[in-house]
Amino acid sequence: MNLLHLAWLLGRPAKARLAPQVLTVSAYAMVSTILLIVLGGAYSFTSFEAEAQGAYLPLAGIAVVLLVVPLLVLGSAAARLSARANDRALSSLRLLGGTGAQISAVTVIQAAATACAGALAGVVLYLACAPLASLIRFQGAPIGKAIYLPAWIVAIAVFAVVLLSAISAAAGLRKLVISPLSVATRRTVPVPSWVRALISVGSIIVLCLVFLNLGKVTESIAVIIVVILAGFGFGLLVLNLVGPYLVSKVGKRKLKTAKTPQQLLAARMILESPAESWRQVSGVAMASFVAVVGGSGAALMQQSATDVIDHSWYDYLPGDILTGVLVTLAITFICVATSSAISQSASTLDRAPLYSGLHRLGMPYSTMNSARTNSLMIPALTASIGFAIASTVLVLPLAGMAVILSPLTVLTVIVAVLLGLLLVRASILVADPKKLLTAGR
Amino acid sequence: MLENSIDHPPVLNAQDLRRSFGSTTALNGVNLKISLGESLAIMGPSGSGKSTLLHALAGIELPDTGSLILDLPGQARVDLQQLNDKARTKLRRQSFGFVFQAGLLIPELTAEENVAMALMINGTSRQTAMMQAGQVLAALGLAGMEQRRIGQLSGGQMQRVAIARAQVTGAMVVFADEPTGALDSTTGAEVLDVLLACTVGAGKSLVMVTHDPSVAERCDRVVKLSDGNLISDSRQGSSTFVGQTR
Repeated sequence: MNLLHLAWLLGRPAKARLAPQVLTVSAYAMVSTILLIVLGGAYSFTSFEAEAQGAYLPLAGIAVVLLVVPLLVLGSAAARLSARANDRALSSLRLLGGTGAQISAVTVIQAAATACAGALAGVVLYLACAPLASLIRFQGAPIGKAIYLPAWIVAIAVFAVVLLSAISAAAGLRKLVISPLSVATRRTVPVPSWVRALISVGSIIVLCLVFLNLGKVTESIAVIIVVILAGFGFGLLVLNLVGPYLVSKVGKRKLKTAKTPQQLLAARMILESPAESWRQVSGVAMASFVAVVGGSGAALMQQSATDVIDHSWYDYLPGDILTGVLVTLAITFICVATSSAISQSASTLDRAPLYSGLHRLGMPYSTMNSARTNSLMIPALTASIGFAIASTVLVLPLAGMAVILSPLTVLTVIVAVLLGLLLVRASILVADPKKLLTAGR
Repeated sequence: MLENSIDHPPVLNAQDLRRSFGSTTALNGVNLKISLGESLAIMGPSGSGKSTLLHALAGIELPDTGSLILDLPGQARVDLQQLNDKARTKLRRQSFGFVFQAGLLIPELTAEENVAMALMINGTSRQTAMMQAGQVLAALGLAGMEQRRIGQLSGGQMQRVAIARAQVTGAMVVFADEPTGALDSTTGAEVLDVLLACTVGAGKSLVMVTHDPSVAERCDRVVKLSDGNLISDSRQGSSTFVGQTR
């Protein structure tokens, strides 16, 4: 029996594991849809006049780089869920004498196949959502048919999602112990050290110096754009260094002050793996960064755009930057909300025996649900507020001027962030243990 | 119908409990009275209805028909059949203790926090709950291990934590489902000693499902189930009462 056949036998749709399978395929569908819409939006800029393209395409590039993290988190959540969905089958395979390499191969094949199904569904969803996305206005007109990507780009995007799922599944396997008796998560409690914070602060200072002196070093626009994009990429890595440290600090503080069972449990769940807690909400930090930096820039440009419009491409730039910031925020929050819903649902399904058992013992589902919700929302609010403050400090003069000169724009961006956080909060309602574990009884 | 005789007033009085899952009859008119300070072992082959009976007696899952009266000293009599899920959940955490084979301890919490959680859910402050939890753990031989996480404890230690949690609320009836099933014989015997000392030794009732005859013989009374029927009810040192429900 070859591995492909084995992967099909163990991973084919089955009633018993339908919920995680549907969740996984839906997750990949969301990843693909969002990716295609983002690419479609960026691609539509190629229809602008050459000079406008020079301004819009780098901005689109920055937005795409910023969306990489939430998209990767979403993809990784889907991949882990995919491996988890087949845990019993994988254990059985080990029991029958399957080697670790065979298990890995079967898992990766299953994840890739699931991702392929999800990505194809995503293409359909993209085509369904495209008419709505095409109404977004840039350069004074709706995007229109320019939102539709050429088939070769769609094919590459689908391939990228499948590849991402395979890589994530392989990486995710390192965190699972697949024994003949069960599949268990490796439980380690890494404590992020203050060294992370030190490295992060140092990196941000270096980054600031590079950005401030960029004009003195080179006058080439192309080089400046590449350096800025690389700088953003580097900034994202720095975020992931400091994030877990920040979350662990907040978790410890919450543990000290916890008064109720749900507060105590939530704090312990955060401290169980600050890196994992951070990973789930890192997109929110990104959103705060975009909101403050992009929002400030957009606000100032809006202020300067009060002159008479002579219908040159530049006249539309201020409004379009605000649109871009809001679209980036919306997409970021959709990604975070989706990945949170998936991760939390997977966690609830994983812990089903414990949750059901604790309910038998007399612990209300509402207590467990509240703890679970807090364990996500505390890091999310920490990320949001923490990085809003950090970003404001980074662009303090700009942010201050934006508040004074264009308060309405700043308010719009703040409302967008609050709505995003509400979306994340609402998304995890699907993982309520009471609803998820008692459904269908 | 089989009727068992008991010496003390029953804290739990089950009459004609019936429960079916599709075409399978898990309980077929079981009558059972459990008195205060008594230890009762429920035995029988797999699928005989042992766990279903335990779940019914503890108000975890209601039987299809029958009555189940809880009559604890100093408290109003309660008919579990008349309570909704929320009320039964509250009753379980306030009046009953549980020790299951899997332990059902929360892995993120320390041993002390797991025990304290039972009190905190009932409204006890965290400080008081932690103090009481520490005392109970120490009494069960776990002094110095309060701050250990569950993954850092052995199987026997985990079950002691579970026993501490069942005991800390002062529950007068403790239900145990194969509490020593996952332990080696020496550790199992030690855990059983602790469980019996904490429950019947303190005047509380213990209702325990077990496959193990050596565990059952440590109890005051043993009932046996077969295909949902209670086929025997014997007291240690007395003659076995054998009957058929129909």
